[in-house]
Amino acid sequence: MALIELRDINKTYDNGQPLHVLKGINLDIERGEFVSIMGASGSGKSTLLNILGILDNYDTGTYHLAGKLIKDLSEGKAAEYRNRMIGFIFQSFNLIGFKTAVENVELPLFYQGVPRKKRHEMAMEYLGKLGLTDWARHFPNEMSGGQKQRVAIARALITKPEIILADEPTGALDSKTSVEVMQLLKQLNKEEGITIIVVTHESGVANETDKIIHIKDGIIGEIEENASHSAWTGSMMK
Amino acid sequence: MRDLLNEIWNSVRNNKLRTALTGFAVSWGIFLLICLLGAGNGIINAFQGSSDRFVTNSMAVWGGITSLPSGGYKEGRRIELDKGDLQITTGKEFEDNVGVVAPVTNSVNDNLILGTKAVRTSMSGVTPEFQAIEKIILQKGRFINPLDLKEQRKVVVLSTKHEKEFGGGNLLGRWINMHGFSFKVIGIIQSDESDWRVSAYIPYTTMKGIFYPGDEIGQISLTFNGIHNLKESNEFESRYTSRLKTHHEAAPEDPNAVWVWNRYSQNAQISQGQRLISIGMWILGLLTLVSGIVGVSNIMLISVKERTHEFGIRKAIGAKPRKILSLIIAESVSITAFFGYLGMGLGMLACEIMDKTLGSRTMDLGFDTIKMMDSPTVGLDVAIEATLLLIVAGTLAGLIPAWKAAKVKPIEALRAE
Repeated sequence: MALIELRDINKTYDNGQPLHVLKGINLDIERGEFVSIMGASGSGKSTLLNILGILDNYDTGTYHLAGKLIKDLSEGKAAEYRNRMIGFIFQSFNLIGFKTAVENVELPLFYQGVPRKKRHEMAMEYLGKLGLTDWARHFPNEMSGGQKQRVAIARALITKPEIILADEPTGALDSKTSVEVMQLLKQLNKEEGITIIVVTHESGVANETDKIIHIKDGIIGEIEENASHSAWTGSMMK
Repeated sequence: MRDLLNEIWNSVRNNKLRTALTGFAVSWGIFLLICLLGAGNGIINAFQGSSDRFVTNSMAVWGGITSLPSGGYKEGRRIELDKGDLQITTGKEFEDNVGVVAPVTNSVNDNLILGTKAVRTSMSGVTPEFQAIEKIILQKGRFINPLDLKEQRKVVVLSTKHEKEFGGGNLLGRWINMHGFSFKVIGIIQSDESDWRVSAYIPYTTMKGIFYPGDEIGQISLTFNGIHNLKESNEFESRYTSRLKTHHEAAPEDPNAVWVWNRYSQNAQISQGQRLISIGMWILGLLTLVSGIVGVSNIMLISVKERTHEFGIRKAIGAKPRKILSLIIAESVSITAFFGYLGMGLGMLACEIMDKTLGSRTMDLGFDTIKMMDSPTVGLDVAIEATLLLIVAGTLAGLIPAWKAAKVKPIEALRAE
């Protein structure tokens, strides 16, 4: 069984008039893959990401993550699965402003009930891996965008999740930093074997991944094997 | 625990103004509650003080003026108690209920003369029983004894107030001139400014012999037994006074023919009054506190709204709703408790100030002077009750905001930026 197995996922939003956003999504993602989901805004890619991240429910179909059926979970159970199986990287970093870098990285372990000292050590270790040891005591607003995103990556990694979900991870970064962040994700995938799913609308970003899944009008279109990273010529950024 | 405190401290530090405003509302509520309870206690203590000064199962009766025509007489007739009333009181008819009986004859405004000094006072002829009924406490010497009564001795019991008026010297053993007779001072009563029992007490027989020959008795004081509640007390009072009224051919239902001061009934009413004051103060205080709680709740709601995004992040990375709920409630309780204690401290300080200023003031009721307030402070029990109250209040205040925070949907919260 694949790490992620989506079968005929349907999702309809009902705000006054029903809006059928996902129209039968079938998708398998294997352990250790580095894929991107590409689509224009309104294509349903954010909704798909939310369902993958157990942030939202779907109406019909099945979603198995690491062999577990993810359906109609209680809020507490959903929180626990998110905590243990999923690492999030967001476009706007989503660090807590009044917490230092190390405190932000510690937070997922806090919700696992890991003792204070242990979790501090682990957080420092991950910050070290990402070259942020000197910034551990700094608050997010004292750091550059690239540094903030690396803190967020450290926070996503610290629970050793099954998958990393990155929602437009370079969207708020300049092109040089974007390249660095994508290189970092690539490196994590290659060296640590972490499954990474990047949601983006930038083809340059998608080109850095090994497989590009195109989504359009709520259904999966073309799935492009991109091991050679040659789907798009030219520079990474438009 | 340390993590929770850290979280709370972070939140408080990041919202100084909000926390200060919230805190003020709670402090003010508790401050007023403590002040009200303190003042209430002061009034209650003052009541208690004045009823502690006599035996509660006692009463005093005087002759009055009839307000109903009866026995061939018109209304408006003055009734004087006499030996017959005394006999009725001590007789078989009331022997189940009547304890000690003391006839008293009072005169208003006599001069006590010592050397060249004169002091105006009232004079009372009493029997030894009077001391017990009126809880008279001697500072030195003795009270009137049976031998004084039997031999119609010219002896007098004065008070510390008289001593003070005479210039502070020791009067015990001195001879005092009253109406041209010399009386030996045999005892001094402990009295304070507010004491209504300041009189020159001489033996009842001496009083009758020298100043008031005849059968009239000014007042009968008595204790009674076997009375257990207000109803029985009122029943006895009505049975007894009706009998006295009949003796004087007044209508038994005439409310003015005989005047009664039933201390048992009075005490029961005072106790009830005390309870009412106490309850009233709690209600007022709690209502004030409620506005504080609403304030905390309101400000916590705003805070939760401001932190929606933060809660969204927390939930996305694995915070269960319960964790968020407890975080907000803990924050609410901490703020409420901290500022509550501040208010409580200030309230207790205010009570002390009240004690120092109002505590010594007295009120003249004509027949008696009472203290307006006596130690208007609150005890440890109230402090503990208030602590529990604060925790409950904090929890209540945090409940709705916490519930809102716990319900935050991570997707919507993450979008909220």
